[in-house]
Amino acid sequence: MPDSPQTGDEPLPEQSLFADYRYDPRFYDEMFEAQAAPREHCRDLWNVLDGMAPEEIAAMQERAERSFLQEGITFAVYGEEGAQERIIPIDVLPRIVDAATWDFIERGLRQRIRALNLFLADIYGRGRILSDGVIPVDMILGCPQYRIEMRGVSVPRGIYVALCGTDLVRTNDGFMVLEDNLRVPSGVSYMLANRGAMRAALNKLFRQYRVRAIEHYGNLLRQTLSELAPRAIADPCIVLLTPGVHNSAYYEHMFLAREMGVELVQGRDLLVHDGFVYMRTISGLRKVDVIYRRVDDDFLDPLAFRPDSQLGVPGLFYAYRLGNVVIANAPGTGVADDKSVYAFVPDIIRYYLSEEPLLANVDTHLCRNPDGLEYTLDNLENLVVKMVGESGGYGMLVGPASTPAQRDAYAKEILKDPANFISQPVLDLSCAPCLTEKGASPRHVDLRPFVLTGRETRLVPGAFCRVALVEGSLVVNSSQGGGGKDLWVLPE
Amino acid sequence: MLSRNAQGLYWISRYLERAGHGCRLVQIQYRALQDRTVQELDRTWLRLYRSLGREPLGGRLGSNRDDDDFLFADAYTLTDDLAFEPNNADSIRNCIAAARENARQVRNVIGNEMWTSLNLLYLGMRDLAVQDIWADRAGGFFVNTQDSIRGFFGIADNSMYRDNGWHFLQLGRFVERAQHMTALLDAQLEVFPTDRRHVERDWRSLLQIAFARVAYSRMKSLDFQPGAVIDFLVSDRLLSHSIRYSLEHISGSLDVVSERRPLAVGARRRAGRVAASLDYDWPNRDPGDDAATRATLGSIRDACRRLNEDIEASYFNYDIEDTPR
Repeated sequence: MPDSPQTGDEPLPEQSLFADYRYDPRFYDEMFEAQAAPREHCRDLWNVLDGMAPEEIAAMQERAERSFLQEGITFAVYGEEGAQERIIPIDVLPRIVDAATWDFIERGLRQRIRALNLFLADIYGRGRILSDGVIPVDMILGCPQYRIEMRGVSVPRGIYVALCGTDLVRTNDGFMVLEDNLRVPSGVSYMLANRGAMRAALNKLFRQYRVRAIEHYGNLLRQTLSELAPRAIADPCIVLLTPGVHNSAYYEHMFLAREMGVELVQGRDLLVHDGFVYMRTISGLRKVDVIYRRVDDDFLDPLAFRPDSQLGVPGLFYAYRLGNVVIANAPGTGVADDKSVYAFVPDIIRYYLSEEPLLANVDTHLCRNPDGLEYTLDNLENLVVKMVGESGGYGMLVGPASTPAQRDAYAKEILKDPANFISQPVLDLSCAPCLTEKGASPRHVDLRPFVLTGRETRLVPGAFCRVALVEGSLVVNSSQGGGGKDLWVLPE
Repeated sequence: MLSRNAQGLYWISRYLERAGHGCRLVQIQYRALQDRTVQELDRTWLRLYRSLGREPLGGRLGSNRDDDDFLFADAYTLTDDLAFEPNNADSIRNCIAAARENARQVRNVIGNEMWTSLNLLYLGMRDLAVQDIWADRAGGFFVNTQDSIRGFFGIADNSMYRDNGWHFLQLGRFVERAQHMTALLDAQLEVFPTDRRHVERDWRSLLQIAFARVAYSRMKSLDFQPGAVIDFLVSDRLLSHSIRYSLEHISGSLDVVSERRPLAVGARRRAGRVAASLDYDWPNRDPGDDAATRATLGSIRDACRRLNEDIEASYFNYDIEDTPR
């Protein structure tokens, strides 16, 4: 081996991490611009990784996974027996984003969330966008996530969506928004946990890159929630409402409550009396001002929504309507991340902000329209079809990966209720090197940055970067076997 | 502090204390296996089972053959029952699992180190079976588990903020300890009545279970007289496993957590009353009257059980109508 650091022109030694890495020009590669030619900002990472012995890298991977299990950084997959606690696999090769790219993402997200909050205030208020015919009225009013109960409710600062986790993908054409996730987005704890593990594993490199910090997320979240408090209270009582330990994201709820220094409560810890919400403490009842809820709308309050809910608090919505407590996110935000409404977000941005959207949308065919339905059914094998109200990768058909029988069955489902489906082209998701048994191999990735909105909009420079661990797979959802990796945003 | 969190902390330490006590019982029993006769062992197994309020599998103890194979076959089955039996709610593994489940519920109020130590303890025994631990006569498993439990309390001791959460952890620990010590002493008197000729080792092992053997020799005597041993384990104020010591810690913690909670006076009063009776009535008892001693132990145990109910009703599941706001 030569003593000098390697450059892209030299052949790689057989045992090197990247010896078998195949650059594929069909997909944007996050690390390479050509075969064995790392992008400028990834060169140091490449040099260091390539200089490490395979055992060293394997040990690093093993350490990271063990630390996850020890700390109990687990999530549950619904519908799987015996899979109560599983760790989200972590991949130890970080993905790097340069300052200019991050700046663009950040501006795009700020623009999008501003428009979506205005949109929600409008459809639960005067409904101008509907009467102006920009969006079909029936699509909004018929959406199961539209909460008629929210009509006329005054929401502090007009902030319906205080927290969102937007899924972004990158193709050779640039970044696109895949989903907005405006209800109870999760993943932020994995972003922070991945960072913790990687900072320890690649300490020297981490310092050398001067990776921008994300650890203050808990502070920002608390500050954001404080700003939404119902009255001008100096130190509002904030709680995080979790469905409990059996929820797939319980680790995250616990983690965030601790980061913020607030109580982690379940429905049975809270009660409503005289229009105020209280929590049961060992020294009596204490008034609650802000609830960061990680419980779905349906289960928030059995008196207002699903009467069989065991997770919620009877009377909570009443207290909310009176303005005595703030619920973040507000009930009813799901209508804005419905997959058919998604298709209109560029129009929503133009309508409220008179600006062109910075982040592109994925081409979406609505099966509720005859054209869209016909196109979808004719091209099933080339499309990804999703149900409008579902998330987490449940209930979707990935055309190219499906069998004719699966497609036939799915087509029948679509025809039963076309308005419930949309289709999108299969996206050429970007790839990043991931550690596999054969060294580094390209795997498809996306990213989910988290946007907070209180008095102002705030983001930490980081994201939960999801990875499709199966070779060639495009499905990155944690519930479908995806993993995560750390995202390093570089300073200017 | 959220009631549910206080309850979680209280039960973490109750379950861990219970598991630790179970381990200690088996560990001391294993020492006996080294050199005692089958008949003697039967009696110490009986003491162990009676103190846990449990029937051995098959419903009875009592071997009638004086051979080693039989003896170890017995120990194997009983070890499995005490350590891993899924239907034994108080088995070591079930206790550790329950403690961990409670910890999972309150993870945001305990430190990472506390959680990690408990989580590792659980993960280490989750998939074990008795044959995995039998190779070293199972002793190592019980010793290591006790070490880990002590490790957990050590971390708590060194890292927890001394607010109400800490005191609920203390309460659980000492309420549990007071209860199992009364049960153990009662079982001892049942199996080894003081009026029969006593074998010193049966009383020495009792002291060993309570980590009191050395202290007893130093402070009292080298003669293990039943009455003196019982008295030491009940009323000594400086012995960490005596009933009196547990009551003192219960009272101390109740004082702190009831500071802003008048509802809880009942619990505090009950703990104080038992402690006072140990200070003033207990010394006047007839040490030879086992029935009277056992009746006293029974009433202490009863008081501890009601103390638990008081704590539940005052702090965790109180009625909303009579609560201060």
